[in-house]
Formats: sequence, C-alpha cells, structure tokens
Amino acid sequence: METIALIIDNKKISCPPGTSILEAAQQNGIKIPTLCYHPDLKPFGACRLCLVEDENTGRLMASCVTPVAPNMSIRTDSPDIKRHRRNIVRLMMAEHPESCIVCNKGNRCQLRAIAAQLGIGETKLYSMPNYKPLEQANEFIVRDLSKCILCGKCIRADHELVVVGAIDYNHRGFISRPATVHEQPLEKSNCIFCGTCVSLCPTGALSPKTEYYVGTPERESRSVCGFCGVGCSVTMGVVGDQIAEVSPSHVRTSVNGSTLCVRGHFPHEFLKAERLTQPLLRKDGEPAPASWEESLEIVSTRILDIRKQYGPQSVAFIGSSECNNEEAYLFQKIARVLVETNNVDNPRAAYTQAVLRRIDEKTNGRCRKNPLARLENGDAVFILNADPGEMNTVASFYLKRGSRKGVSLVMANPVRTELTAFSSAFLEIRPQSEFELIKGIGALLYEEQATENGCASPEMQQRSLFSDTDLDKVCQAAGVNMDSLKQAANVLRGKKVSVVTGDEIMLAENGAETVNALLELMAMTQSLGKEDTGFYVLAKACNETGAYDMGLLPDALPGRQLLSDDSARKHWEDTWKVRLSPDQGLSAVRMIEEAEKGNLKALYILRENPFEILPDPDRVRKALENLDFMVVQDIFPGELTEMADVVLPGAAFFEKGGSFTNMEGRIQVFEPVVSPPGEARQDWEILGHLTAKLGHSEPYDSVEKIKQEIARVIPMYSEDGRTYGDWIR
Amino acid sequence: MKPKETDWNQLFSIIEKHKHEKWGLIPLLQDIQESFGYIPPDSIEPVAQALNMFPSQVQGVITFYAGFTLKPRGKYVIRCCRGTACHVKGSRSILRLMKKELGLEEGETSEDYQFTLETVACLGACFLAPTMMVNRDYFGKLSPTKVNSVLSQYKKSEKC
Ligand code: SF4
Ligand code: SF4
Ligand code: SF4
Ligand code: FES
Ligand code: FES
Repeated sequence: METIALIIDNKKISCPPGTSILEAAQQNGIKIPTLCYHPDLKPFGACRLCLVEDENTGRLMASCVTPVAPNMSIRTDSPDIKRHRRNIVRLMMAEHPESCIVCNKGNRCQLRAIAAQLGIGETKLYSMPNYKPLEQANEFIVRDLSKCILCGKCIRADHELVVVGAIDYNHRGFISRPATVHEQPLEKSNCIFCGTCVSLCPTGALSPKTEYYVGTPERESRSVCGFCGVGCSVTMGVVGDQIAEVSPSHVRTSVNGSTLCVRGHFPHEFLKAERLTQPLLRKDGEPAPASWEESLEIVSTRILDIRKQYGPQSVAFIGSSECNNEEAYLFQKIARVLVETNNVDNPRAAYTQAVLRRIDEKTNGRCRKNPLARLENGDAVFILNADPGEMNTVASFYLKRGSRKGVSLVMANPVRTELTAFSSAFLEIRPQSEFELIKGIGALLYEEQATENGCASPEMQQRSLFSDTDLDKVCQAAGVNMDSLKQAANVLRGKKVSVVTGDEIMLAENGAETVNALLELMAMTQSLGKEDTGFYVLAKACNETGAYDMGLLPDALPGRQLLSDDSARKHWEDTWKVRLSPDQGLSAVRMIEEAEKGNLKALYILRENPFEILPDPDRVRKALENLDFMVVQDIFPGELTEMADVVLPGAAFFEKGGSFTNMEGRIQVFEPVVSPPGEARQDWEILGHLTAKLGHSEPYDSVEKIKQEIARVIPMYSEDGRTYGDWIR
Repeated sequence: MKPKETDWNQLFSIIEKHKHEKWGLIPLLQDIQESFGYIPPDSIEPVAQALNMFPSQVQGVITFYAGFTLKPRGKYVIRCCRGTACHVKGSRSILRLMKKELGLEEGETSEDYQFTLETVACLGACFLAPTMMVNRDYFGKLSPTKVNSVLSQYKKSEKC
C-alpha cells in the first residue's frame, strides 16, 4: 500500500495518503488542540486552532483539513504557532459574554479548557460580546448563542449524524449563528431533541436543561440506555447519588456513536418519578413497610404452600422484556426448577419474539446477528409496516444516513413517516395487507429472474410462493396501484435486500406467513444470512431479544430451544438436575384467564404491567383480585403495588449490573452507576435470595455468578464457557 | 403598492424549471428574487423539497448572500456606498441625507413599498465616489443637491 512519509515534531511518520495532518499526529501520540474537529464529523476547518507550520515553506495550515504530503516537516508547537493560537482564542473570548462561572457547561467547556492550557486569563482585547436572547422554552435544550464560537459541530451533527436538518448557519460574519428555518425556537422547528448537538457543542452555547443542578457532575460512569431495544452506550454524570445528566459515551464501536435520542438523553420524567424504596407487606388489608427477611420469607412460604396445596400449575410468573438477562434467566429458573412450572412469560414483547422465533426456526439460527451498520452501507432496505424513527430512533439514523449515501429504501407502511421522504419508493398499504404486498413485489422480481433464464430454473420453481401471484389482486388487497408496486420492485431489482419490520405485522392473522414471505424475498434476492444484510425487528423494550434467549417464555427454554423438543428438554433436565414438564406453560393472557376462573392462585409479577395484557383492564383487575397471593417486584408505586400482598422494590437499569441483548443481537454488559434508592435492591439480588429460600443449594451471591452460569449453559452466550461474547451466535 | 400575495403557480413553475439542474439552488433563488422582488419565506420549504435539501440549508444560503432577501423590498432599492473611497469623500453625510429624505433607516422599506434603503461596502466605482445605486443605475460624484435630484426623480416618476 502506498504511504506518505513526513516529519511531525522531529518524529518520522508514515501514513496512507488522504490522512489529515491532525489525524497523522494523533495516531502518533502528538496532541494538537482542536475545537471544531470531531472524528465522527466531516472536517470543517472553522476554528483554526489546529494550526501547524510547515518548516520547509513557513506556511501555516489548519491541520484538520490539510492532507499529509510527502516530505512535509511539520511543527505543531513552535512559539509562532502558540502565539497565533493564543490570539485566536483571545478573539473568541473577546466575543464571549462574561458568564463563565454560572455556565452549565462547567468544566466540560472546551473553550475554557483550551484557554487555560494556553495560559490566557484576560484577553486584553476590547470586549465585543454578541448578545443573543437565551432560549430555554423547551424542556430539553438551553440555547445561549452568545456563547457560540461558530465551530459548526452542531450543524454537522444535525446534518450528518442524525440527518434531521433542523439547523444551519444563518447570515454571515459576526452576526452569523446556527438557526432553524424562519429563526423559530427549536420547539417550533423539526428538531427531535436528540441532543446530539448538545453533547458535541464545545461551549456553553448548547447545554442540557436540567433542574437538578448546575455545573459539572462529580463523576461519570458508563451504562447502557434501557429505554428501547437499540441499547445505546451512555455516560451518566452523577451528583451525590443522583443522575444529573446523560450523554452518549462516544465509544467508536458502540451502536450509537455520538448520537442518542430524546428518551435516552433527557429522561427527566423517569428520574423524577416517585420510587418504591421499601418492601411492603399487606397487613390487615393495608400495605405496610416490612423487612426484606420477613418479606422474602413470606413470598417463599406462601408460594411453596400454594404449590403443595394446588399443584405447580397454580403458580405463575410474569416477567418483562425490560429485565436484564441475568434476572430473566434467574426468574424462569425459579419457575421451572424451584416451583416446577412452565408458567412464565414476558407478554409485552410477545409479537416481536414471535417474529424472531420464526426467523430463527426458518434460518436455523443463521440470522441472529444483525449489526445496524449494515443498514447504512448496504444496497437496499425494505421497510415493512414499521416506524423506526418513533420506536428505535437511533436505528432510524442509520437508515437516513444510508439513504443519503445511496442505499435505496423501499417503504410499505399504512401511514407516512419521517422516513417516507428518504425512500426511493413508498407504498401506502392497507393495514394487515403485508403478506399480499410482499407476494406482489416477490412475484415481480421472480418473473424477471424466471424470464431472464429463459425458463424457470429448478431452484426458481421451488419458490412457489411467488410463482402464481395475481398482481391485480395484490394491488387491490394492499390498496396500491400497479405502477407504484412496479416502481418498488424496480428499486429492489438486482440488489441485496435487508428487511426492517416490527411487531405489527403479527397483528394480521397470517402474520407468521408474512415473516416467511419476507424470508423468501431475502432468499430470492440472495440476501439471507449474508455478511452485508440483515433482518431487523424493531424492539420497543431494551431486552426483548435477551428475554427470549433466556427462555422467559411458557414454551421455550433458554438458548432459543423449544420446550417440546425432547432432546433440548433432556439437556436442560441434566443441566438443572430436575424433571421438566413437556407441556407448555400458561401465556400471560391465559394466566389472567385462569386467575379469573380461580385455577391460578399465586402470581409473581416482575417489572410488568398486567393491565396492558388484555384490552379490558377491569377484567384484569378482577382476575388479579381473585388470586390468593400476588407478589409485585417493581420500581414505581401504582395501582398494581396497591393490590399486591408483597411489594419488593427493585432497581432501575442504571442502578444494577447485568447485561442487555439489543435488537442487533449484541450483548452489552454494564455495572451499576448509582445505588437503588432507600432499601430497594438490585433485582438479581432479590431473586438470588429467593432461590435460596425456595431451596436452591448453590447461592447466587453475585451477578457474576449468574453470568457465568449463563455463559456455561447457553452456548449462544458463551465465548469460552466463562464469559459472554460480544454478540449472540 | 403592497407586494402581491405569493403567486404559487409562478413559484412552482420556477422551481420546476431549475429542479433538475446541477447546482440549481442559486439560479433558482435568483429567479425567485427577480420575479417576486424578494424570496417569500414560504417558498423555502418547497424549494428545499424539490432540491432534496434541508429547509434550514436553503435559508442559510438565502441569508448568506446580500443579493437575496426574505423581506419584500421597495420598487426602488437605493444603495448608498459606504466603502472606504466613498467614506473619505463624505458618504456618511450622504447617507444621513438619504435617511432624512426617505424617512428610512438602513435596511428599511417604506410603508408604500416604494423605497428600500441599503448600504453596501463598495459599488466598484470608486473613481466616482461618493456613489449610490438605484436598482441597476449608478450615480456618482454625489453632492447633497445631486442626491435630492436623483431621489426626487424617482419620487416623481411614481406620481405620473
Ligand atoms: S452552538 Fe456550539 S456547536 Fe454549534 S456552532 Fe456554536 S459553538 Fe459550535
Ligand atoms: S437536538 Fe438533534 S435534531 Fe435537534 S438540532 Fe440538535 S442534532 Fe438536530
Ligand atoms: S435509541 Fe433507544 S437505547 Fe438509544 S437513547 Fe434512544 S431510547 Fe435509549
Ligand atoms: S480543529 Fe482544525 S480548524 Fe478547527
Ligand atoms: S468605495 Fe464607494 S464605490 Fe468603491
């Protein structure tokens, strides 16, 4: 490979052509101060702070935008350069208002840091502050553009990373500022408050609006966002034992890079909400504070009593797709091994998991790893009845960036969404006509291939799904016209196709067939199980994939194995040293029905809201009132905790250790950032104590121990039998 | 004479004309500016959509160039040169006189949309300093009397 040799600060360096002087220096451990440069953004050359000098020519150059050239001899910190840099910063400071001390950016202000580094106290220049009104009507972002140094990072982030286009430079020269269309406040623009611009802004011009504090957090810790299935890597700033702010962790390999969405970036509501801080026991009909020991004792004895009296089928466990892997595994193990029932479910993700199961079965597990990056760099993406912008915002950034780079998007949706404008073809389909529509597109592509080959090859003939399709009928069923159907097929023709869909395709009666048809479509376009395509199922909750993998289901065992599969069951019987019933347990819906009938006596609800399981909450309430015993383990008080016999206060995702498996199939491990409030405990710990009380001999006294067990017994999660890999396999 | 309501048909035909041009934004905006006398703010969105840009980007271009304006301007745009040569030759008092005569500050447009007063950094005719322009016509070697006569010429031409 061609390389270019040059000298930077007397150090001989070689690097590939096209590298900027700045990057070449950084790669060799030479530091050059910057303000407008960011590795995720296109270089811009606005601040001139990265000036360097070529000794051969005496030329000064902005190193972030100057590519290396042969025989350059660069100085990065000659006295001359330092003087220039100091002047640049002095000029910036002269334009700056004097509110540094109360600035929310605090010690994270890069301008202040650089001024300090360069030894600039007073500018000794005529101060020319450029006052702009403070904008803080919205709940998330405070804009104080008097502090803007015109580095353009916010604009580039907004255009290049999240592709929203809410802001751009307005005017020119001294009065120039980033502005929305018609210079409206952000809340009246198309800004989605992802906050990406805020975390990249080097000064206090853009800062997060927080009510809890002003200034710099005391410490920062990494965690994984638990508000959707993307699983963004976040850094949480902590003051005392309170999360003060959240920002992207800027790990290059993370799913989100420098971006986040409004939910993850500004979880105000969530952080402010009242929490459960103490175990509660119902005494004389009223919930009263109790000790952990007493509460857990009651939970275990009551459950064991009820099992003894009415049999294991009278006890059930509703878990959640928000449980982390360790909790989910332990919870289903309590049900299966210690109570000996398969009555365990996680209802909210039922449809998503049904799609995943179908894919897994049909492809023999070849489609488990779906890095979102492929959406940005592939050929074409077919989006079927899904709204990534709403459900998994950061995933939608990938699609929009891809579209800008030339990935063709074909979208079939009952309604227009933000992504419609990014699509090469958009089909406004009737609800629940997905299956017909895929058949139509598949048939158009199939026809072409068949005629190209003169006659259908044997392989093609097998693909009977698309062979006899009446296109007029398809158009009628889907409510689209033939031209747009053909256009959609044309866009996909000859390309490798990734699929993005959501759980709504399962609302149709033939939902399962829709999944099959999508798989067929991918197979026909040679896109199935390939390195550069994926089958993406949007995930509302943070651990929908993980809950499925851990077997938090009435008919599946950990590791995506079927309860009805004899050899799989045998394997788990050996592993756990128990006998497992081959009969599938009650789904959450059936649990409610059985409670109604009086057959279900005890219910343990972990982080789930059963009122959402059935359309009629009154019916659910009556069913729950019918139970003999109900345990609720959660973090927020509410109607459900009011009804419970025992309330066990658990931890929010950032208060506990564990792992989530995101919608890509990426296993992400995290540590607690703060402790749970009051006497609340990490959920694995509560479940661990309970296993001991229920008679499990090996104590689960650390989350590590659960992890190791998972790594040992679930091959999908095992790198070497002791730790997880980065991805499920 | 108030500016007319935006003629959307005209606007869309202009957009249509430039839609498929490479680097079509500037010619498109010039065309709009020419036809309407300004760029109606409501046209930002349709222009952006046609060129597959963000509206904020289109607005950024419009506000960057002095030749584009988002506010309706008068029938006669009076530009007073405030460049160095003209300054030396007393353009400050020329400007003051114009303000008084027209009853307008810099950047303002008269209520009847007859006149807009602007300043520029150099009209490129320094040898005639001090200079001014009315729409596309130059006037140089200005004196207070000359300014008065130029302005009254346009005021008059309106009356008949
Ligand atoms: S607001 Fe911040 S990020 Fe944006 S240009 Fe100004 S200083 Fe840079
Ligand atoms: S918050 Fe997000 S959408 Fe809004 S301006 Fe910043 S980067 Fe753009
Ligand atoms: S996309 Fe999902 S995981 Fe990422 S910040 Fe938003 S809610 Fe959190
Ligand atoms: S970092 Fe190079 S010009 Fe700003
Ligand atoms: S300075 Fe007035 S024309 Fe040049």
